[in-house]
Amino acid sequence: MLMTAVRAFLILLYAVFVGFMFMGIIRIVTARIHRRVGPPIYQPILDTIKLLSKKSNITHGLIYDFGIIYALGATILALMFIPIGGVSILRAYGDLILITFLLEIPMLGIMFAAMSSGNPWAGLGAQRALLTLLAIQVPLGFAIVALAEFYGTFSTYEIVMAQQTMGWSITHMPLLLVAIAYDLVLQAMFGKEPFDIMIAPGEISLGPMVEFGGKHMGILQIQHAIALFAETLFFANIFLGGAVVTAFTSPILNTIASLAILLVKQIAVLMIAIFVGAIFPRFTIDQAARFYWKWPTILAAAGAILAAL
Amino acid sequence: MEEIDFKVAPESKIKKRPSYIKPWLGLKYLFKKPVTIKIPYEKTQIAKNYRGFHSLDWKKCIGCNFCGQICPARAIEMTWIEVDGKVEKRPHPKIDYGRCTFCEFCVDVCPTGALGFVENFMLTTEWKDEELELFDWVPIHPDKLREINEKFPDYRFPVGKIEFNKETKEVTYYLRDGDVFKFKILGYGVRPPAAAKPKPAAPKAEEAKKVKKPEEKKGQKSEENSS
Ligand code: SF4
Ligand code: SF4
Repeated sequence: MLMTAVRAFLILLYAVFVGFMFMGIIRIVTARIHRRVGPPIYQPILDTIKLLSKKSNITHGLIYDFGIIYALGATILALMFIPIGGVSILRAYGDLILITFLLEIPMLGIMFAAMSSGNPWAGLGAQRALLTLLAIQVPLGFAIVALAEFYGTFSTYEIVMAQQTMGWSITHMPLLLVAIAYDLVLQAMFGKEPFDIMIAPGEISLGPMVEFGGKHMGILQIQHAIALFAETLFFANIFLGGAVVTAFTSPILNTIASLAILLVKQIAVLMIAIFVGAIFPRFTIDQAARFYWKWPTILAAAGAILAAL
Repeated sequence: MEEIDFKVAPESKIKKRPSYIKPWLGLKYLFKKPVTIKIPYEKTQIAKNYRGFHSLDWKKCIGCNFCGQICPARAIEMTWIEVDGKVEKRPHPKIDYGRCTFCEFCVDVCPTGALGFVENFMLTTEWKDEELELFDWVPIHPDKLREINEKFPDYRFPVGKIEFNKETKEVTYYLRDGDVFKFKILGYGVRPPAAAKPKPAAPKAEEAKKVKKPEEKKGQKSEENSS
């Protein structure tokens, strides 16, 4: 029991650290695409420390505080279900639907908090976020159906194990289509550029985040870091073969090796998201809904049908 | 009427087709060297004759107030000055950088070429009153400015601190190369103030002659003031 708690804590620590590094990488790579130097890689950590040490905190009541904690908790819970190489905690129960669902919950938590602030910009942002959430359900649903159909199981860990013998998911034609659809969905889940309609800096002044400051924003930064880690990890697990290394005799070496392999895969996923985010401008909300119900849905549905044949 | 042939570029030549592929060309700068000047470590190259702070040759300025009249921001106020106990015969312009727009009209209009400018443009202070004194100065001699610029080529304001003593009206410039420059402000405006009226050489001579009659003089003065 105690061992599990310690392990959960270590996973959380690792996820937060790597998540912040990912945020730093996003800023540096975006800067390089713009021919800028960009901040040092640890900049998001400094930002978060600054936010957490602000003296004044505005609160608009219980739901305003609770929504943030709720978002953070849901993200951490999602992380616990995703297998990280060989060291996850709840991987036996980590099925596709549960994790997909848990990865969307944080958005709802942020919406709660934003709506209770009574700021019209936040309301506008929340509305857009919910519509985006609705739009990505369709390709996401097809993607899960395709995966379950192909591997005959919902368990993420079993999918990872199956890929050890059958090769990565993206090497199979139906699942490649699904992976492309899922990657487009990831863009909205990260809140990156073509689909960052709910945050929309400059357009609706940060949308839901407009009212947060101080500790609320700091916790949201941590939540964002963990969410980045969890989402890339989930993608790497189900499409890029995860990583379960058994080459070494010592279990510690195995763990480190599998973490390193996973990290490379996660960064690959992240890079694509950054590139797409840096070169495409933002969609309007109706364009985004139409886009998600068209191309990713067609791709994912085709993948699901092919997988069922 | 002569027929005029307007040249209009056709629509088809201007309009580009939207594409999902072409934006990826935007990634071509990813591995190029960033085009950035790392400011605290690298220096920018300022244009020759970049319009910055003023310089004033106190010996050449004739106090004509042309600069004060042309200044669009009314940043120039004529100031009567006493250096080392000697009153300057003519007023000199004092420039308020809180108002100045750095148009340098005052430099162009100056008939004697006394007013000039250097490329320095950096002047940052905190909110404290004593630091804000820096924004209000009678410019110093151009040669001195060049000398300071050679020592500190960072385009900052050549004076580190200006102290203004409200009682004695004494102004002290602490220049950046360590020199201290002191003078007294006797009054403002085009007309000479009472303190500057007696010509520094003449009254001394008079005093020497009429040492025995100081009371008379005082009486005269008070009459003058009352009338
Ligand atoms: S530079 Fe222009 S605004 Fe400044 S003091 Fe001279 S005339 Fe006035
Ligand atoms: S600086 Fe030039 S324009 Fe201004 S009072 Fe002196 S001589 Fe006249």
